[in-house]
Amino acid sequence: MPLNWWTRQRHYFLYMLREFTALPMALWLIWLLYEISGLRSGAHGYTPPRSGLFVAFSVVVLLFSLYHSYTFLKLAGVIMRIKVLDRQIPSRVIVFTMFGAWAVASAVIAFVLIWFAR
Amino acid sequence: MNAEHRPRTAIDHLFFWFMFANGGVITALLMPVHVLVQGILGPLGVVPVVDQHYDTYANVIGNPLVKLYLLVLIGFAFFHFAHRLRYLLADFGVPAAKSLPAQVIFYGGAVVVILVTIWILLTTIPISFG
Repeated sequence: MPLNWWTRQRHYFLYMLREFTALPMALWLIWLLYEISGLRSGAHGYTPPRSGLFVAFSVVVLLFSLYHSYTFLKLAGVIMRIKVLDRQIPSRVIVFTMFGAWAVASAVIAFVLIWFAR
Repeated sequence: MNAEHRPRTAIDHLFFWFMFANGGVITALLMPVHVLVQGILGPLGVVPVVDQHYDTYANVIGNPLVKLYLLVLIGFAFFHFAHRLRYLLADFGVPAAKSLPAQVIFYGGAVVVILVTIWILLTTIPISFG
């Protein structure tokens, strides 16, 4: 198979894109670890992230991250089979619940990150 | 009955699938908000964010629940990433990505990241319940 098989169809391309999202997300989490370890230099040595380059990097990572969230949470409706009282829960309901959980988790984390900044 | 023909549960397969699926869900639920708030809104000064000041960040990172949360997030995430990147390589036409050495390298890499995470979390800002 030629190496560029995935560029020939939109569907294949999106499949590869979905797998690729892991790389930018991994880089961002490694940056997060680096930032945390920066606390070791103390109050005067710690430099908070404020550069434009870092914001640009985060914007790119955010796009990949959102694509991963959208595709993976939608997929959960297909792979999760839950039965309640012998009746299959429609995948629509599972997907809706997953997206609801995403909204709640995002709100809680955003609240913690902002509230404890005061 | 020959030992080779006895059906056996693929425990290792089950384990990696469990880590992959949970890592996928955890990163799907939690990554975007971290990147948006800590990577964009905080640095731009749109909202105050804990990691913009040493005092507030050190306070939060000292909390044992936060340390545990970060370990779960990063630990599951990297097992997920290892799995995805290994298959990405295989799909790009690198059959070696499916071999045992490749599995050792990729999942071993995830384990190394987890160990480094534990080390950083335990050696940066001592645990405090205050």
